[in-house]
Amino acid sequence: MSRVVVKDVCFSYRSGEEVLKGITLDFDEKSTAIIGQNGAGKTTFVKLLKGLLKPTRGEIYILGRSANEMTAAALAPFIGLVFQNPNDQIFRSTVLEEVMFGPLNIGEDPKGARKKAEEALEMVGLTEKASENPHDLRLSEKKLVCVASIVAMEPEILILDEPTIAQDHAGMAAIRQVIRRFKEQGKLVMGILHDMDFAAENFERVVVFHQGTVVADDDPREVFSRESLLQRAGLEVPHITRLGWSLGRKETFLTEAELIQSLRGEGSTDR
Amino acid sequence: MKTFSLYVPRDSLIHRINPIDKILYTITAIAVPLILPSMAASFLCMLISLSLLAAARVVRQSLPVFAFVFLILCTVVLIQGWFYPGNQTPLFGVEPFVFHAEGLMKACRIGIRVTNVVAAFLLLVLTTKPADLVEELVRRGLSPRIGYVLDSIFQILPQMMNTTRTILDAQRSRGLETEGSLWVRVKAFLPLIVPVVMSSLIHAKERALALEVRGLHFEGQRTWLREKRTYPYSREIRGGLLLVLTASIVWRILG
Repeated sequence: MSRVVVKDVCFSYRSGEEVLKGITLDFDEKSTAIIGQNGAGKTTFVKLLKGLLKPTRGEIYILGRSANEMTAAALAPFIGLVFQNPNDQIFRSTVLEEVMFGPLNIGEDPKGARKKAEEALEMVGLTEKASENPHDLRLSEKKLVCVASIVAMEPEILILDEPTIAQDHAGMAAIRQVIRRFKEQGKLVMGILHDMDFAAENFERVVVFHQGTVVADDDPREVFSRESLLQRAGLEVPHITRLGWSLGRKETFLTEAELIQSLRGEGSTDR
Repeated sequence: MKTFSLYVPRDSLIHRINPIDKILYTITAIAVPLILPSMAASFLCMLISLSLLAAARVVRQSLPVFAFVFLILCTVVLIQGWFYPGNQTPLFGVEPFVFHAEGLMKACRIGIRVTNVVAAFLLLVLTTKPADLVEELVRRGLSPRIGYVLDSIFQILPQMMNTTRTILDAQRSRGLETEGSLWVRVKAFLPLIVPVVMSSLIHAKERALALEVRGLHFEGQRTWLREKRTYPYSREIRGGLLLVLTASIVWRILG
């Protein structure tokens, strides 16, 4: 079933300078990584999905509803967008209250909001920090608070804008966990990513943006095997893929486990 | 880098004039009508300012400002025309709203003066890049630190506007309604203002550290990033303006 339908969408901030040039995409529940150079139009694209911007042409449907006619706040129960910079949203004096803000806005009663906030904090591993002031947390933790504050709203669709930037090892694990949970619940997760390793490892579909158009849209193994295309779009293949190729493999490896398994398998035949 | 200014890039002689000379012009154009209270002097100054705006080809950009000013001047015409204390000669209208000749003359004088002041300012603002002006002031002995503060005002404003927009987006993403009745807007105030203030404090701290690292408080000889620009007709303009000022003072004293 299509969760998000994007039909021939164009967008420009200033007339004459098109940021998006006729995007047509269709998203089911497959988790999707959106990759591309800076300025390729990725953030603009997800802002359109979220209803923060309205397309200059074309139509967007979120779970069957026309996003063109809905405000971002009205779309909030269905689609959640986690912004890059936590300082752009944090305003409450405790982490728990900050995370409860979203659910309360979409009509949850205080008790239910608290429960959802606690669950979300548990998912990102910040349960112990619930009563601290969010501004006292480390940047990586603040970013997780923002993830939790959207997760607590239990949207059907979750969009993460650059979740891995400024994230430490524990934070990366927390984000992986969130993505996995959403996948398990059959919900759509989308991520704008510069970290190809993370994209290859955690997503089932990769869409490549380049100068306002989609130049590739396939499963990660297919996309990351096309090195020349990635280069044209100003991107790199994941490190593990490159390592595999350097070791003379023809296949495209997406995770360390895959490569190790392949190497082991070969080792045993040698013996 | 995006800056907050009304500067309109054009290739005109006015654009190439030294920013300081333009400031001097603005001062003169405002001072002369004050020194010489006759309507003719004000009118002449206004004409000169307006034709300089035309020469700089920024008339279109100055129209919105003039439109706003004229809106206010309309109220001046009404108030002075009806209620100026020296009103004696009724012209037209119905009691108690009768326009008088003296009031309308007064309004006309105010209108010309205001237009002149606005035009003179616009000439400076629309044709001068703030950075050029600040650089020229620093070269003439303004403290580089104050120069930096002036410069940064033009850059911080658009940056804050951007941040505010992002904050608005971030909170709307969390279901915050920001449009609608007064109560909705009042409720939206806190979630918007707190991040705005917090992030500007954080920015200010980081900016201060970054500047210190790059030697803002350095004591000693500084060099310039850009070569000194030479501006045309500087001496002639200053001489001319000084002459006009002196002449009008002399006229006032003698006349």
